[in-house]
Amino acid sequence: MSPQTAEAKSNSTSKHVNVPGKPEGWVPAGDLQEIVTLEEMQKLPKETIFMTGSEAARESIRRANVDMAIAYPITPQSETMQQAGYLFDEGYIKDYYRAEEEIGTMSAISGASRAGVRSLTATSGPGLMRGTEAIASWPGARTPIVMLNMCRVINTPLAIQPDNTEISFLLNTGMLVMHAENQQDFFDWPLIAFIVSEEVDVTLPCTVSVDGFFVTHARGNVAMCDKKYKIPPRDGWRNAVPSMDNENPPARISRDAPIQKSNFISYHMHASWQQEVFSAVERSAKYFDKYLGGLIEVVNPDAEEMIIASGAAVSQAREAVRQEEEKGNKVGLIKVKTIRPWPREQIIAAAKHAKVILVPEFNQTGWLHKDVCTTLYGKSTASIYPGPRVFGGMTMPTELILDWLKDIREKNTSRNHF
Amino acid sequence: MGVKRYNVRMAGLGGQGVVTASHILSNGVVISGGHSSLVPFFGSEKRNAPVESYVRISADVIYEIGEIIYPNIIMIFHPSVITLGKSYTMPFYTGLKEGGVCVINTGTPIPFTADEQKGLDVNDTKVYNVPCTEIANKVAKTDLATNMGMCGAIAAVLGMPDLVSLGGSVKDRFIGKGIVVSGGTAALDSAIEKKFAKKAKLLEANMRTLYATYKYVIDKGWGHPDANLVDEEELVANACGTVNV
Amino acid sequence: MSLDTVKPAPGYLEHLPVEYQDLVKHGQYGKKKKVSDMGKFKELIEEHPMCAGCAMTLFIRLVFLALPKPEHTIFVGTAGCGRLAISQGNVPFIYGNYGDTNAVASGLKRGLELRFPEQDKDVIVMCGDGGLVDIGFQGLMHSWFRHEKFSTFMLDNEIYGNTGGQESGMTTKGLVAKMSPRGKVDDKMDMLGLAKVAKLDYVARIVPTNPARVVRTARRAILVAREFGSTYVQAYTSCNIEYSIPTPDVMQDAFDKEKKDYGFEEHISDRAKAYLDDIEKKEKAAAKAAKAAKK
Repeated sequence: MSPQTAEAKSNSTSKHVNVPGKPEGWVPAGDLQEIVTLEEMQKLPKETIFMTGSEAARESIRRANVDMAIAYPITPQSETMQQAGYLFDEGYIKDYYRAEEEIGTMSAISGASRAGVRSLTATSGPGLMRGTEAIASWPGARTPIVMLNMCRVINTPLAIQPDNTEISFLLNTGMLVMHAENQQDFFDWPLIAFIVSEEVDVTLPCTVSVDGFFVTHARGNVAMCDKKYKIPPRDGWRNAVPSMDNENPPARISRDAPIQKSNFISYHMHASWQQEVFSAVERSAKYFDKYLGGLIEVVNPDAEEMIIASGAAVSQAREAVRQEEEKGNKVGLIKVKTIRPWPREQIIAAAKHAKVILVPEFNQTGWLHKDVCTTLYGKSTASIYPGPRVFGGMTMPTELILDWLKDIREKNTSRNHF
Repeated sequence: MGVKRYNVRMAGLGGQGVVTASHILSNGVVISGGHSSLVPFFGSEKRNAPVESYVRISADVIYEIGEIIYPNIIMIFHPSVITLGKSYTMPFYTGLKEGGVCVINTGTPIPFTADEQKGLDVNDTKVYNVPCTEIANKVAKTDLATNMGMCGAIAAVLGMPDLVSLGGSVKDRFIGKGIVVSGGTAALDSAIEKKFAKKAKLLEANMRTLYATYKYVIDKGWGHPDANLVDEEELVANACGTVNV
Repeated sequence: MSLDTVKPAPGYLEHLPVEYQDLVKHGQYGKKKKVSDMGKFKELIEEHPMCAGCAMTLFIRLVFLALPKPEHTIFVGTAGCGRLAISQGNVPFIYGNYGDTNAVASGLKRGLELRFPEQDKDVIVMCGDGGLVDIGFQGLMHSWFRHEKFSTFMLDNEIYGNTGGQESGMTTKGLVAKMSPRGKVDDKMDMLGLAKVAKLDYVARIVPTNPARVVRTARRAILVAREFGSTYVQAYTSCNIEYSIPTPDVMQDAFDKEKKDYGFEEHISDRAKAYLDDIEKKEKAAAKAAKAAKK
């Protein structure tokens, strides 16, 4: 699209002469890493380490070739982003600062992405809500950004506990939404999120949401390649729209404000712009499919009783499936990995045999249940049960899912279904 | 392992090292080749405020996450969890499965209320009183090693992890860089480190406390058939021998 | 971008719109233009939908004229009248959300420094008083205290012009405006004072009565920001609609305002002064040499 100018070509190495607090000749650790493609990285030999979700995120960031990380501390995100600070100090991240609050954070990281550099931020429930004015403008501004979201209660009474209602506020912004199940996902998926969000025909921000505390502060096994590897850098020249770097022939480039007047041209422009954003979401599916090995995972595909879940609820459902199996019952499970793009066709196909569907969720609103119902309307004869649901930080004991299944089997239930 | 899985709920007071104990127990199980996961229940980090932490232990892969609502093991780090109700879970045995075990850090039996006694009895709960703080004061010369005592006691009750793996986990905690600690815990660490100028000394005191409570449980006849004592000096040397001081 | 990027491939120029041809042939790229050249070259910003006689527009045009390197400049703005003109310039413009300018500029400038370590890229925040001191106050303050390397230009019309005349933090005390029905209770916010507290290297207050001075001030603010960190220029740009100033009297109002409570002020740190002196001396010498060569 744009001719690379001489000064722009020399952009590959970062300025690291006389870094404050570092000895002369200090080399950032990131400069010593070897670049491999994400496909290659996924095939590298792995070591399994028992670590918290926050630590898994740190290790992912270490290998993600991040240029800029900006965040404001909030529980339970803080443990990850303060460790990103150590990664910056070691030289795995090129620039980093603690922003003033989330409007400042989400605005600044969009500035960084507009400059064409790989940009990372992270937040949790209330912080996400505070930053949502900015976040909702990212997709339209076509800014590839990865936002880790360690889910947390957003409503009153205030709580620091996990509950993923906030994800529902991201579903219609035009951003890509992944919902990670466990520590392993929280290591694997940020890397995928960067690569997919920066694809030219995508050029969109992506959130990797995970249920706070349950995953971030709990330990699990994480298989990862050696830290000497990193994925390729973002190429600031490859975007659906030009970076705001003034490296293109002069023109009135105010891509963020094409709409100045209320008239039919501006309506048309806005509509086509939005249409393109949501088309880009759909186009991202092929990349997610490739790197995630499918947008959904199915356990016991031919079962008549299916559980459809995302995030931490998947883990609880897996345990329920195992315990039912021990009792001689076959229960199926569909793990939805990407909420946007929404794997509509895949879910319809996977739920084909189902007579009963449970949608367990860690929130009050049941956003996943709504999407499942919309998708299966007219495509399935199954009874779709809206739960079990826990919220306000409560965990979902496996016993609760088993109880629902038992009640439904014994028709001993007043539970509504659709 | 007798049972397929143990779900452990730990309850204590802020500053007692409850979360640290859960990390050590969990990591010890992993070192010994088992599976484990843990979830700390975070309120505000406050000295003396109630703290709970949950550890899952299994010979098989663990899927379930989140706090443990229906544990089969409860560990009470301080009598006031029961007597003063310094707990998120009231009464303290709520959710304990039938035939469960309750390990309490106390030298003298807790005077349960009639309701509490009934609650324990109908559920066929086994109560083991282990004086971990007394043992910590005697062996490590500080009550800050209480959590080590609790780790030793529970390992003997469960028969896992073995003492050597548990010791390895303690070593990881203080020498390794694997475990991320919160701000308050990091500050406590440095307070402990001041007391023990050398990390080796700190490790040794912790190891001996582990050993002492492990032995206490076995001597009382509460130990799991798989729980075996190892030579104390060998255990200490194993952990401290390679320490860089 | 390289100045070569401005020029189309051979044989292609004549097929481009006449405005673009003018920009290539008679633009300010690579040439230093003076106020006295106005009308004789193709300005970066010409057409705009601002009100007739708007002093803000004059100020914005003068700042565009002052750009040391328009081919490496990016503007950041927010809601308000100013963005209607700035977005019409041939310089990339980020029109963000409400009050997000200084946060966006912080990320943008740092990102550009990573991508173009050998090339100075000037980031300029230009927006209204409300956007900066009310809704954008927190971002403004933090960018100053972090000494982010970009300049902030306040288009101070002392009111919310775009939304129809509501009182802002920069409105003078006692003024009856929309949302201050009994007259504004509090004083105009002392942003120059805050800029000094934040130890900015260059702070100026100006009324566009002297165009050459506007150009010099803007240029200094941009150059110092590039080298040392945040700089601040607060310019009185009256709203002739909300203050009912007849179009022919707009400049008279500016002179009156300057005399009354908006006199020119310039605060330069020692290091910035040494830096600017050096640049300005060299420029003068070069101009002198050029003049001598012409003779």
